[in-house]
Amino acid sequence: MSAFEWHVPATIADALELADRYKDDAQFVAGGTAVVLLFKSGLVQRGHAISLHRIEALRGINLEGEGGLRIGSLTTHREIERSQIVRAHSLLLATACANVATVRIRNQATIGGNLAHADPAQDPAPALIALGARLIVTGLEGTRTVAAEDLFTDLFETTLSPSELIVEVRIPQAPVTSRSIYLKFLPRTEDDYATVSVAAAATGDVAEDLRVRIGLGAVGSTPIRARAAEDVVNGHSFSEDLIATAADAAAAATDPIEDGRGSAEYKREMARVFTTRALRAVAHNS
Amino acid sequence: MKIERPSSRLRDPELRIDGSQKVTGRARYAGDVQLDGMLYAATAWSPYPHAKIVRVNTTAARQLPGVHAVITGADVRPHRFGRRLLDWPVLAWDRALFVGDRVAAVAAETPRIAEAAAGLIDVQWDELPAVLTPEEALAPGAPVLHPDLANYTRIRASTDGADRPNLRAHQAYRHGDPEAGFAASAQIFTHEFVIPRVHHGYIEPHAAVVWLDGETVHVVSCNKAPFELRERMAVALGIPLESIVVEAPFVGGDFGGKGTSIDEYILYFLARATGRPVKHVMSYTEELRATSTRSDARILMRTGVAEDGRILAHRSEVLYNAGAYAGGMPVPTLLPGDAMLTLTCYAIPNVKVEARAVYTNTVPTGHFRAPGLAQNAFAAESHVDLIARGLGVDPLEFRLKNAARSGSIDVLGETWRSDKFVRVLETIARDRAGRKPLSGGHGRGVGVGMRHVGAPGSTSLKLTLGRDRTVDVLTGASEQGTGVHTVVQRIVADELGIPWSRVRVRYGDTAEALFDPGVGGSRGTPLVGGAALRGAKALREKVMLIASSGRREGGGSEDLATFDDAAAEATRDGPIEVVGEHRTEFDDANVYAYDVEVTVDSETGRVNIVDVLLVVTTGTILNPVAHRGQLEGAFVFGLGSTLMEKLELDEGRVSTLTLGDYKLPTIADVPPLRIVRLDREPNSGPFGAGSVGELANPGIGPAVANAIADAVGARVMALPITSESVWRALRDAGRPSKAT
Repeated sequence: MSAFEWHVPATIADALELADRYKDDAQFVAGGTAVVLLFKSGLVQRGHAISLHRIEALRGINLEGEGGLRIGSLTTHREIERSQIVRAHSLLLATACANVATVRIRNQATIGGNLAHADPAQDPAPALIALGARLIVTGLEGTRTVAAEDLFTDLFETTLSPSELIVEVRIPQAPVTSRSIYLKFLPRTEDDYATVSVAAAATGDVAEDLRVRIGLGAVGSTPIRARAAEDVVNGHSFSEDLIATAADAAAAATDPIEDGRGSAEYKREMARVFTTRALRAVAHNS
Repeated sequence: MKIERPSSRLRDPELRIDGSQKVTGRARYAGDVQLDGMLYAATAWSPYPHAKIVRVNTTAARQLPGVHAVITGADVRPHRFGRRLLDWPVLAWDRALFVGDRVAAVAAETPRIAEAAAGLIDVQWDELPAVLTPEEALAPGAPVLHPDLANYTRIRASTDGADRPNLRAHQAYRHGDPEAGFAASAQIFTHEFVIPRVHHGYIEPHAAVVWLDGETVHVVSCNKAPFELRERMAVALGIPLESIVVEAPFVGGDFGGKGTSIDEYILYFLARATGRPVKHVMSYTEELRATSTRSDARILMRTGVAEDGRILAHRSEVLYNAGAYAGGMPVPTLLPGDAMLTLTCYAIPNVKVEARAVYTNTVPTGHFRAPGLAQNAFAAESHVDLIARGLGVDPLEFRLKNAARSGSIDVLGETWRSDKFVRVLETIARDRAGRKPLSGGHGRGVGVGMRHVGAPGSTSLKLTLGRDRTVDVLTGASEQGTGVHTVVQRIVADELGIPWSRVRVRYGDTAEALFDPGVGGSRGTPLVGGAALRGAKALREKVMLIASSGRREGGGSEDLATFDDAAAEATRDGPIEVVGEHRTEFDDANVYAYDVEVTVDSETGRVNIVDVLLVVTTGTILNPVAHRGQLEGAFVFGLGSTLMEKLELDEGRVSTLTLGDYKLPTIADVPPLRIVRLDREPNSGPFGAGSVGELANPGIGPAVANAIADAVGARVMALPITSESVWRALRDAGRPSKAT
């Protein structure tokens, strides 16, 4: 690990100002569980680390009536997993966060850091995609809103500029009839990254007018929204054939990389298997 | 065999004497050592599997502030090191033979400066064609890795059978007439199995500190065999044995990997160059890239069976990919210890077994918990299962029919003196009979094995009875986490009939303690424990003699009923010292079997282990908690090798360079385990005890593979058994699964 200067701004404005000052030589640090490893391995070398841990404005879980759920980007996975508010509003997100690594990491790692890190095998992104979440991103140029599925551009890359921060995650109020599931395929160890993961949320009447959103993790260079699979299902009634067709569409949308968790062929097939299982779970019995 | 039974006190759970030091952090491991003026080492290494070293430019590294010395192969030439065959250069000087092979080293004031300086060492390479598999290495015209093999120093080792370039070792065994046996067989079965390269996965990475004090070389190391390291350093470095002092008080996990020292030799040269203590603690990436791993193997098995289902003939060919150097191999054959023990536990009238180890341009290999057996068991017990299924016979019945019994000749010509294997199998049969029939998608599979209860060796302990009536025991055996010091305490206390707390066991370095061969080969309890028992007896005799002669002179008349009474009398004139010396041979073994129940998700190939029964034979148990811990640990250790562990080699480069990629099982991954211990037959160690640490790790792999075949009809022929490998086997089998 090479030496760097450690900055601890107290406000978002100060953090952005530091990021703008040091540009490409700066790195935001939230929980640090991923970025510190990158520093230590030398894969990321920066002269300036900007820690966000003192910025109170980035914390908190709040329910805003019709506006849905607002989660500060510095909220830890463990806080989300255990929050009664999140569990009541978006159990899918709480479940996905509970699946991240180990409790020691979940106590430290944050939702904003997780998304900005843009590891395609992470758990929260598919859930946020399925929930229709939007991310509030702020920079010196102003504030913008990004759909969860539009944040990621490539392996560990996002649309965030070096001086932009995710400040909040917003999840819309779901209809009372909604059903959801997160399936993480872990064939090796319990603390591993997913071989593939599928998050699905469904609303509507299974006999007439299904509406689903599907997020997939670990199936390519970014988490993806399986739109083609959604299109197969949406507006139709449940059948095994419908789900099989949708799962084929989901698998076709994947572009997995071979690694210790499996070959590309296997992961694509597992995307099909777990999309089938997820859709059966959310689209069958309401 | 007449066995002295210990008192019932030994059935009480032990209090580990190293426990409080470890949980409070007071135990001082090699990595904890801090000395005044100490420098830190880092190395530059080859990025190529095979390359000529054209030029090494160290100018920039030397100029970095805080750097005290930079050495290269030219500074250490011609010194090579090794446990039996000294083929591993301290730093490579002409060619690098694997990715990670060290070519230069730095000593600097901080680890960070040392790493930075190592990064500034500029090596001009000329990449050479590499051989990455034994097949490539043995092909005609293949590059020869060690053209000077014949001139290397050997320490009681032989490479006689190795008569081809790159063939490092070749051993063969036969009895009966295997050709005739095959000719007479009703059916012949041939299968080939693939076992991957793995790492031991201990918590403590290699660590060492070396410094010179006048002519004396001091070494603090995590090496589990400090006396052996002292001798090897003396031979490799050409310095007198007496001028080296090695201290290895605690070993933070071994599993066979801590007998091999690599850094100590480099640190010696750096300490000599700087006049300062120099330390190195490997990163885990260095561990995975450049230490002494477990060799991968390709194992061919052929067995002929008579009409009645009895094995008539067997042939095994074991081909080990040995990596670039043999320096990590501790046995004279330069093969894994039980390389030829393949189809163990069965009566086999005609057999031929061959084992080869071949040099390749890959990370070196050495010993690994139950060496040889850890590779062979998967092949042997999968093979046995495949034969039984091929014959349409229940695999457990087939094993019982062919089980070695008292009087049977086994695969290596040993005559069995026990029916213990049959009792193990019958215990499994009884357990199965008492269970509900398997439901759909479930399958059960067996994997068996055996292990000697202690490699040959000799050790000596010094016992001193003080005037406070406590006994101090000095041993040169390191505590590598198995509880050997506690075994010593309990044996001495029990033999003398005194409270545990009145026996204090202390580790001594090679200057202070008497010779010990090191805690390897399951020697701890039989050898060190045996010396403890002999020492305690000698102490009692001496005490009784002194006390009774004192009484006679003093005219006393009452009996000296207990050791305690005599001890008070005998130590009036000062402490009493004796030496407990013990020597062991291979003379005894334990056997075990797993019976594993699995379900298989036929869409994903994921295997779920729902029940595990482990039946073992055991002698007298001295440390009840540790004994169970060793069996549980062996199971989890074997489970990692079975389901997930594989050191991936990509064009010779280890690509699993962190514990995030090289996955080990965690406690959340461990299925329920039932253990049944059959203790009717004592072992040959003290009080009828034997060793247990290397007994049960190899058999879990084949038991899982056999259970999968039972559940869904798919057969995996390679470890690790990943979900994908099962999914592929299911697809290749092309048959509908039983799973629902």
